[in-house]
Amino acid sequence: MIVAPDNIGLTAIAPAFALLIAASVGLIVSTVTRDARNGGALAFLGLLAAGVLGVMNLLAARSEPFTAFGLQWSVDAASAGMVLAVLVGAFLAILTGWDAVQRTGMDRPEYYPLILLATMGAVVMLHAGDFVVLLLGLEILSLSVYALSAWRTGEHGSEEAGMKYFLLGAFASAILVYGMALTYGASGSFTFAEIGTLLADGSGGVLALLGGALVLVGLAFKVSFAPFHQWAPDVYTGAPTPVTAFMSVVVKVAAFGALMRVASEAWPAARPTMDTMLAVLIALTLVIGNLGALLQSGAKRMLAYSAVAHAGYLGLAVLAVGQGMATPTVVVWYLLAYTLMNGGAFAVLSEVMGNDPHGDHIESWEGLGRKRPGLAIAMSLFLFSLAGFPPLAGFFGKALAVQAAFEAGWSELAVLALLAAVVAVVYYTRFIWAIWFARGGKGEPQRSAPASWAIALAAAGTVAMGLFPDLWFGLVDGARMAIMAGM
Amino acid sequence: MSGPVPTEAWVILSAALFAIGGIGVLTRRSAILVFLSVELMLNAANLALVAYAKQWATAGVNVAMSGQTVVFVVLAIAAAEVAVGLGILVAIFRDRLSTDVDVLSEVRL
Repeated sequence: MIVAPDNIGLTAIAPAFALLIAASVGLIVSTVTRDARNGGALAFLGLLAAGVLGVMNLLAARSEPFTAFGLQWSVDAASAGMVLAVLVGAFLAILTGWDAVQRTGMDRPEYYPLILLATMGAVVMLHAGDFVVLLLGLEILSLSVYALSAWRTGEHGSEEAGMKYFLLGAFASAILVYGMALTYGASGSFTFAEIGTLLADGSGGVLALLGGALVLVGLAFKVSFAPFHQWAPDVYTGAPTPVTAFMSVVVKVAAFGALMRVASEAWPAARPTMDTMLAVLIALTLVIGNLGALLQSGAKRMLAYSAVAHAGYLGLAVLAVGQGMATPTVVVWYLLAYTLMNGGAFAVLSEVMGNDPHGDHIESWEGLGRKRPGLAIAMSLFLFSLAGFPPLAGFFGKALAVQAAFEAGWSELAVLALLAAVVAVVYYTRFIWAIWFARGGKGEPQRSAPASWAIALAAAGTVAMGLFPDLWFGLVDGARMAIMAGM
Repeated sequence: MSGPVPTEAWVILSAALFAIGGIGVLTRRSAILVFLSVELMLNAANLALVAYAKQWATAGVNVAMSGQTVVFVVLAIAAAEVAVGLGILVAIFRDRLSTDVDVLSEVRL
């Protein structure tokens, strides 16, 4: 059977195309003019175009996926919402790095186009309706980020980060591909929804379970669930800070979007077992992420472990969504909030670190409140939000995730998450204490206007999402309701 | 021996290759050999994909995207990984004349 490509849905793939075109043109322009910032300017244009097209997709979201060449491209409200989070994350990361990249000599022509290509990979992943599109998106994203992690050549930490991320990432991809092959063996299909239907009668047996487990492990690497999180602290620390800002949000959003879709569409058959496996991973992640963060005295490593901990909360929401006990909006909301507060925190971090790759130690934060009150206030805001203090965005994210877990019947996990949130307050406030009350302090933070805009934007978003949670919820949920009504 | 080789035989072979690759990744110290092991795992998946594609085709199940087609996607991905991975490897080798992953342990818990 050959499916004629009459249903490609040009509007649905338009955001990805806008990014691809901007990346390709940007690569040529910045190589010819020998100025990376020309590519950067095009990157802003590309992100803007993709953002407009993404909003159009969100407003016109439909539940039926597009099918062409035997592949599936889903454009529901959840994917469109997460695409916006990815674009915001990329925008913040580019602003953060605008001056930092130049002053550390990383402004080679390929920098901004690679960021755009990675963003495009994330967009493809979020729209994936089958394993083949998922794999393609994952690799477009990952390969670009491997290269970006090693971007600061001559700096051992950065090169090692690239190598480590590459080897572990390729390992994880291979596991994912094998899981995909076994799932195909059990069901005869690569499409999530078809796999779910074909295996609904339990005909897949052990093969389907094994395939599902390997797919889960492969994705667990990408979302940094413990015990597959070991790469995260090293890579976050070694990679150039603007790149860390990018990957800590964009890779996480894309991987969670994919995991959510796989969990809710492809797992119905193997449901109880797969959910138990996911729950075990989440419990480990909550414990290891939060305890690991307690031990860190460098801000980058602390934020890396904090990212692992947040993966635990997001996992709770995904678990509930997969069972149909919560709306995908919870995950979308959390990811958007996480993008703003984490992207903002890394933007401040990049300013405080300056050109010193090891300048993230807690000593560099001491006295920041006196030296740069603006930066200090913004950082405190982001850290309080990450810790889950109301009325900031992070509070509603954690609250919604825990509530979803309770409603889906995972009360032990929800209680564990609440306890973990108390531990989390300790390691975040330690840095806030150093910023405001500790004496001494070394180094002078940078002053970069674009990074300041990124910080202001992220801070405004973090506060606005916290003060008006209904507004954002309405935007995404409204689109979903419209689909339900039209069905 | 006559008749076609059963799918199980192919899949067992591919599982063995996958396991060998996995063990290689976890035990080898040279980054190049680790990467080679990953390639072995990817090709194990390809073998399984082809075997299952044949099984489903024999069973009369026709889907638009068959396992045989996906093999080409996986091959292309593996080739792209080689390009990026060896690039990073060369950068590291220039810096310190070694590709041993134990040397890459400057960053730790």
